[in-house]
Amino acid sequence: MPLNIVVLVKPVVDPKAVVRFRPDGTIDRSAAKLVANPYDKYAVEAALQLRERYGGRVVGLSMAPPQAADALREVLAMGVDEFVLLSDPRLAGSDTLATSYALSAGVRMIERKLGKVDLVVCGIESSDSNTGHIGPEVGEWLGIPSVSYVDTVLDVSEGYVVVKRLIEGGYMKLRVRLPAVLSIAGTSYQPRIPTLRDVLASRRKQITVVGVDDIGVDPSLVGLAGSPTRVVRMWRIEIKRKSKIFTDTDVDALVEKFLEELRKDGITLSR
Amino acid sequence: MARTVLVYVEVSDGKIEDHSLELIGKARELATKGGMDVGALVVGHGVRELARELIYRGADEVHVVDDPRLGTYRLLPYTKAVAHVVGATSPEVVLFSATVVGRELAPRVAARLRTGITADCTDVDIGSWTDPLSGRVYENILYQIRPTFGGEIMAAIVTPQHRPQMATVRPGLFPIPQRDETRSGRVVEWSVELDEDSLDSIEVLEVRREMRKVDLKSAKIIVSGGRGAGPKGFELVRELAKLLGGEVGASRAAVDAGWISYDHQVGLTGQTVKPDIYIAVGISGAVQHIVGMKDSKIVIAINKDPEAPIFRVADYGIVGDLFVVLPKLIEKLKQGRLPGGS
Repeated sequence: MPLNIVVLVKPVVDPKAVVRFRPDGTIDRSAAKLVANPYDKYAVEAALQLRERYGGRVVGLSMAPPQAADALREVLAMGVDEFVLLSDPRLAGSDTLATSYALSAGVRMIERKLGKVDLVVCGIESSDSNTGHIGPEVGEWLGIPSVSYVDTVLDVSEGYVVVKRLIEGGYMKLRVRLPAVLSIAGTSYQPRIPTLRDVLASRRKQITVVGVDDIGVDPSLVGLAGSPTRVVRMWRIEIKRKSKIFTDTDVDALVEKFLEELRKDGITLSR
Repeated sequence: MARTVLVYVEVSDGKIEDHSLELIGKARELATKGGMDVGALVVGHGVRELARELIYRGADEVHVVDDPRLGTYRLLPYTKAVAHVVGATSPEVVLFSATVVGRELAPRVAARLRTGITADCTDVDIGSWTDPLSGRVYENILYQIRPTFGGEIMAAIVTPQHRPQMATVRPGLFPIPQRDETRSGRVVEWSVELDEDSLDSIEVLEVRREMRKVDLKSAKIIVSGGRGAGPKGFELVRELAKLLGGEVGASRAAVDAGWISYDHQVGLTGQTVKPDIYIAVGISGAVQHIVGMKDSKIVIAINKDPEAPIFRVADYGIVGDLFVVLPKLIEKLKQGRLPGGS
């Protein structure tokens, strides 16, 4: 059974970069390099493995400013067939309810083009907002089941998907009706590293940029106006980690340097 | 009808989860500040008799949805039950624990009710807020405080106009309220119409769950091993923990691999810990692990990959092969060269 899979990818500020504030207290994203959310790459890997097993097509879907297209190229190089980038100034300031609404409209648009979408997959959360809301909320807007913390997709057949999902203290095996949204918790799907050939091939793949009017969303339900939540303020956490990282080819010197530093900082390594 | 702070209560093996009791205590605090009542909502099968206990712990009213078809947690029927009671009682605030269930169920309910939700709060408070655009003042609304950008930044978030104001709150941060048998409250039983469509959407084929015996929450020192440790590495992790008088922790990967039991797991699907010293050995630092240990006072990471995300949350990092570093560290500590000692 060939599968049509939509994978949701969020372009995020490179997690390795230092977060900068504007004078008004909002985060300055303009200077920062955007990359694909690392947790979404596990979902991309899961989608690609499902395509290899069952056949079908994997379409990426993102909502971001147009300059985010570069961040999507690395995911196309991994093997995603094409991308739809939802980009419109009216989407700025969307919280998770508004974002999930817009993304669900994006899924419906892809469906009109591709035929029935069987699975929507995404990472468990984003590395910048860390909410994990998008999977369940997209599921709700589409009126289909969703499963968060999916460890492995075990089987797809006869209109159902069987997944192993993590719970406190173990796991659950669930049989879920298709179409469904799966939030992939990572670790089981190590993202593949594209080869140079993959990178070159990805340049020919298409990124279709669409706006609010193209996908038929109600403009009053997106952007700041469509977002119930407001960020009042943001501040840097005061308990900064010391980040004293030691390297040395000589292990004796390495461990000695580390213990010396602990002594200097007055830290006792025992109860 | 009184304005209410409603807590969604999780039940496991017929017992109210500790994190749900913590939330009842927190809700009591919010309710007192904002002139509200505390409500509790419990969904499941055979959960009726838990209502009294929730009142003893601080609830003024307990809403019960008790149905044999709700014996095992399944997202869509549970969404239906929660959204039904919330829709009918119109609470001001609804709080969920930021657990695997809470972080899936709460956003689903929020989207159904078309309201806002904030994830994984480390604190919630009641206060007033002036909208800088309209100048309108909102009194007694919920401040939702949470880390963002991987924990580097804190954000305060409000939901000024939509109701209920919803949040998931991280477990293990607030005290469990004292039991007071003199308290009284109201119990409301609901029967929710569950359609076949949502009941059929998810079938639970198998549940594997280990019970927890080791309590890492009160440990002062934890030495944790991860995927990089392997069974041999765990021998070293145990030896170091013993030497330091600490407990042994582990990442999910190590537990799944069978090198150590689930009791020792730190992270989202394990325990949330905040020891004085946390030593992560061969743990790369997946977000699911980091949420469970990032409130530790001092974090020490030992990993051969200098790019491992664990180093970003570490005070001290040793880049090196744990199979070489740990024996050397143990040897030096045994020589009585404990730092801080004479």
